[in-house]
Amino acid sequence: MYRIRFHGRGGQGMKTASRILGSAFFEAGYEVQDAPRYGAERRGAPIFAYVRAAREPINERGIIQRPDLVIVADDTLVAVPAAGVLAGVSARSVLLINSRDAAEVWRHRLNIDGPIVTLPVNTGVEDRAELPWIGASCAGAAARLVGVLPRQALVHAIETELGGLGDDVVGHNLENALAAWELMAPQYGLASEGGEPRAQEYQRPDWADLAFETARISAPTIYAAANSVEVRTGLWRTLRPVIDYSRCNRCWWVCSTFCPDGAISVDKDGQPRIDYDHCKGCMVCVAQCPPHAIAAVPEHQAQAEEAQPADIPGDPP
Amino acid sequence: MTQTATTFRRMKDLPSTHLLGTGTPMCAGCGGLEALHQIYDVLGEKTVFVNAAGCMTLLSVYPFTPFRGSWLYTAMASAPAGAQGIRDALDILREKKGLPPEEDLEVVVLTGDGAAYGMGLSATSGAMERDLDFIYICYDNEGYGNTGQQYSGATPHAARTATSKGAHGFAGYKKDLFSIWAAHRPTYVATVIGAEPLDLARKIETARDLEGPRLIIALAPCPTGWDYDPRESVAIGKLAVRTGVWPLKEYRDGRIQHTRVPRERVPVEEYLKKQGRFAHLFEPERDETLLQELQAKVDAYWDSVEVQGG
Repeated sequence: MYRIRFHGRGGQGMKTASRILGSAFFEAGYEVQDAPRYGAERRGAPIFAYVRAAREPINERGIIQRPDLVIVADDTLVAVPAAGVLAGVSARSVLLINSRDAAEVWRHRLNIDGPIVTLPVNTGVEDRAELPWIGASCAGAAARLVGVLPRQALVHAIETELGGLGDDVVGHNLENALAAWELMAPQYGLASEGGEPRAQEYQRPDWADLAFETARISAPTIYAAANSVEVRTGLWRTLRPVIDYSRCNRCWWVCSTFCPDGAISVDKDGQPRIDYDHCKGCMVCVAQCPPHAIAAVPEHQAQAEEAQPADIPGDPP
Repeated sequence: MTQTATTFRRMKDLPSTHLLGTGTPMCAGCGGLEALHQIYDVLGEKTVFVNAAGCMTLLSVYPFTPFRGSWLYTAMASAPAGAQGIRDALDILREKKGLPPEEDLEVVVLTGDGAAYGMGLSATSGAMERDLDFIYICYDNEGYGNTGQQYSGATPHAARTATSKGAHGFAGYKKDLFSIWAAHRPTYVATVIGAEPLDLARKIETARDLEGPRLIIALAPCPTGWDYDPRESVAIGKLAVRTGVWPLKEYRDGRIQHTRVPRERVPVEEYLKKQGRFAHLFEPERDETLLQELQAKVDAYWDSVEVQGG
């Protein structure tokens, strides 16, 4: 059985990618499951989708713990623990990352032995939540990597799944899926079917057992005030708003009031401060700032600049 | 009409710190959350929220909450009934258990348009009939947003939704909830939008200082359901007001007053063309008939306002 896991951000079309790949397998005569994981499907938030395909009826259910192929549509997710990109990855799992960095860089960075393939598409797009047609590219690359799907199955799956959106959308997606299909030609068949896990290898899921308790203890009552701040929604961000204080008019009542999340507050000098732990990167402040003092910087670039302080010349190898 | 002195005379008077906790699961650029955090700053911590099923049910998911006070989750149609129970309990505590007035709480219903315009309308009608002392906040994103933007009683004519995908979009018309509510003659009814924060703050302040049923509809631009880049949320909200699509008004003491009359209205299509849900009005070719119909509706509304001297 093939066990394939897609990772992306809300808005990148991972659900569609899993549907296209699932339909392509079905075209080729496989039994198929494809499903996204239900959760916070918000734009920019980590999204999961799963495909199982086998020649025999599939009795396995639920999330895929031991993937044969992991597809990462957005390389900024690798560093996000909540995305769980590497969960259950073994030496035989293939990791396909959409990234401007080479496979060797990722091998060094992640320190894993298994095969890593990079899919350098749309790497110039700054707002990673808007990667155009990335879902189709991922599905096309995955279809080639498994090595058992004819090109026509992929084409027909895209026409079937996206037909309702019009010829233009089908055309763009076909073009991108087939470009990714061609790019993966050297790695044709790299991802192989995983065997059936034996009962004695069964590992209990890492969950906590809850003992029976009286309602006073077990009823979900929250006694803390505004403890939602413990949730770091800043991880959703693909663009970062950065204030140029030399141009800031200190009219904080604009950005601080309009920020939907209330993530901009005012310090004692009357300057607005953005809370990057919680800013989701909607860019409303960038659009509304009267003197245009807030810039939208790609998050990966902002993080790279933070990691390399400007006052240290050069970067030792 | 009695005019209350406002503490919000200019933008600078708006709060610079915010009560509502960050870290909520609302979408980036959510126009409903924008309105709610502004509303919460004016209402304050001595509030208890009664939330009907909808997007904002996700605000308080165990073990996290952005509120500083209590929150009750009800089924979609029953938030005003939940509010009645809490109000009654607070009244009993005050009368029989000596709860001091300064520890009393304001009961605030929070629902989307699915509940407000549709399923919950009869419970709201009943609450107004009983003269329940509460505030009702409806965040109106013109569809069942949390489940994928199916049409609701608040969906505007011609908008494309998950359940109105034809060439002309939604065939029905947005229900006039403001008038339906006002016809009950409650204490206060108002429309607001997060993109006009000063107008919003003054109205919430007015509502806060009154008693009885006080009902607010906040138009909530929705990047996910209306299909636009989240950065456009405030720009689209301002256009809703400047085109006259979303009239800012209030009902009090039997009279309706418009708080912002756009003297030179921007053409409605400027508002429509920013949103993917209306893209079929422009592509592959302009649908002049529908565009003119939508403009004529707005013009007719404002003509009637001018006749009434509103």
